[in-house]
Amino acid sequence: MTAPTTPGRTDAIRAIAAKDFTAVRRSKGVIIPMLIVPFLLLVVLPLGVGLAARNAHPPDVSNMVRSLPGGLATPILHLPPRERLVTLVDGYLLAPLFLIVPLMLAAVLAADAFAGEKERKTLEILLHQPVPDRDLFFAKLLSAFIPAVAISWIGFACFAVVVDVTAWPVTHHLLVPSKLWLVVIFWVAPAVATLGLGVMVRVSARATSTQEANQLGGAVILPLIFLAVGQSTGLLLVTLPVAVGIGAGVWLIALWLVARGARRFTRDRMSRTI
Amino acid sequence: MDAAIHTEDLTLSFGAEKALDGLTFDVNAGEVVALLGPNGAGKTTTVRLLNGLLDPDGGSSRVLGLDPATEGHKVRGRTGVMTEQSGLDERLTARENVVFTARMRGLSATAAGKHADELLERFGIADRANHRVQGFSTGQRKRVALARALLHDPEILFLDEPTAGLDPEATRDVLDLLANLAAEHGRTVLLCTHFLGEAGRLCQRMAVLHRGRLRAFGRPDDLAANIWRGVPVELDLGAPADERTLQALRAARGVIKVESTPTGARVDVEERAALPPLVASLVQMEVPVFGAVPRPPTVEEIYFAIQEGAE
Ligand SMILES: Nc1ncnc2c1ncn2[C@@H]1O[C@H](COP(=O)(O)OP(=O)(O)O)[C@@H](O)[C@H]1O
Ligand SMILES: [Mg+2]
Repeated sequence: MTAPTTPGRTDAIRAIAAKDFTAVRRSKGVIIPMLIVPFLLLVVLPLGVGLAARNAHPPDVSNMVRSLPGGLATPILHLPPRERLVTLVDGYLLAPLFLIVPLMLAAVLAADAFAGEKERKTLEILLHQPVPDRDLFFAKLLSAFIPAVAISWIGFACFAVVVDVTAWPVTHHLLVPSKLWLVVIFWVAPAVATLGLGVMVRVSARATSTQEANQLGGAVILPLIFLAVGQSTGLLLVTLPVAVGIGAGVWLIALWLVARGARRFTRDRMSRTI
Repeated sequence: MDAAIHTEDLTLSFGAEKALDGLTFDVNAGEVVALLGPNGAGKTTTVRLLNGLLDPDGGSSRVLGLDPATEGHKVRGRTGVMTEQSGLDERLTARENVVFTARMRGLSATAAGKHADELLERFGIADRANHRVQGFSTGQRKRVALARALLHDPEILFLDEPTAGLDPEATRDVLDLLANLAAEHGRTVLLCTHFLGEAGRLCQRMAVLHRGRLRAFGRPDDLAANIWRGVPVELDLGAPADERTLQALRAARGVIKVESTPTGARVDVEERAALPPLVASLVQMEVPVFGAVPRPPTVEEIYFAIQEGAE
């Protein structure tokens, strides 16, 4: 049922996404927690690591590296001892952790976009507008997806600057972006954001408030975050092919969830929950 | 005359509960019809069905010649709704709320802004246009919601409890606005309310809903004629009528029913012509008569009589 998208329809989609974006920007309760995590993860953490590496005697990570599974130990152990810490943390360990950012942002924004309409009692009037169900759903997805990915990318740009500025005196070459990071940023991060959306669309259909949606969604998403943290210490996501493969897997699950959400997103169903 | 709205046996259940049970009624183009009923009667459900938000379990409806169940998109393009909860985003300004809706309805940014300004001005809220809705009173919110509902000049306006939550002054203001709107040529209005005063003031016909079923539908005086025989007359005697007076009234020609009231009596006569001889006979008995006014029953009286019948 994909009718051709007329100019009027894209206008409506854009209007909804733009309105959600404006409204979220003004909700301190949403925006502050949303920005704190990326700031800690992408600015404070690499700053600390970078400064530690510039120390005359940076912490020695070779023992830790040796105990790691996979083929990562060799390339890192080949580096001069001073470069090992920054390369390990900034080049590899933070890549899976970074994925928490798009996941969390997408989830928080989607809860606001879907369950938030119910909580604010604005859903009914929205359903009374002549915007087809599919477009409404798509607009709501975009209003969470675009800022989630954009903020993740901006966060990454900040991260790259912090890493390279602090690590330059140690490494004398750019650590970030590496090929691995590029795959994470442009392939895995949007997939993970979509996954967050898919989960939240599902739980928002039941929840009556943003908080409830966040709680339900958190029950699904937190284990994923722990998984990411676990991975980052287990160092599975180190090689390029693994990163590409994981991205593909996440895309599949995410798109399946979203497609399912779209099928279930009908006015009749929505109207029965308000 | 074309029916703007026509429903036939419209039925909808939420689970086991029938929210609307075989509703058949119609609204003519340009007419103001009140959908009256207590909370939970099915008014909001009707508005949602007529705008294609809910799919009926049974029956059918046509709105502007379209079937909302299959052509809801087209219907919604031509109707305007003011929902019970104003449904404004508190984080946006009044103007942003209206412009947002205009953009969703396909107006260009310039046209949307111009329209929003005009309507906010017209509804006396222009000075607050760029304030966030968060700080607005319920009355101010209703005005913004009304502006939003009217922005595309809808052929049918649905008003769901437009004065709910308003203080008497704001109620009067909103009703004045609505009375002006209702007087505009060609605008069809379906007014859902449980406040009888506003129905009495605005509507030409009323549909009384009770637990999802239509109990009565028609012009208030026609409904009254079905319920009561004759013309009710309020007699002002300065004090409750005494037994002698009541007896004389009952004995008079053309009198159907007599009741004592705190200021005199209420008498139902068969026709207006029965009144002058009645007053003359009272005067002859030296009963002081301060006034004798034929008074049609209020919407309240009609409504409660219908609801009592429905219980
Ligand atoms: N989303 C819903 N889920 C379950 N029951 C509902 C829902 N909406 C309305 N109802 C029920 O349907 C009946 C009619 O409700 P409604 O149309 O809102 O009445 P009104 O607008 O006249 O107050 C009520 O009994 C109400 O409890
Ligand atoms: Mg209602």
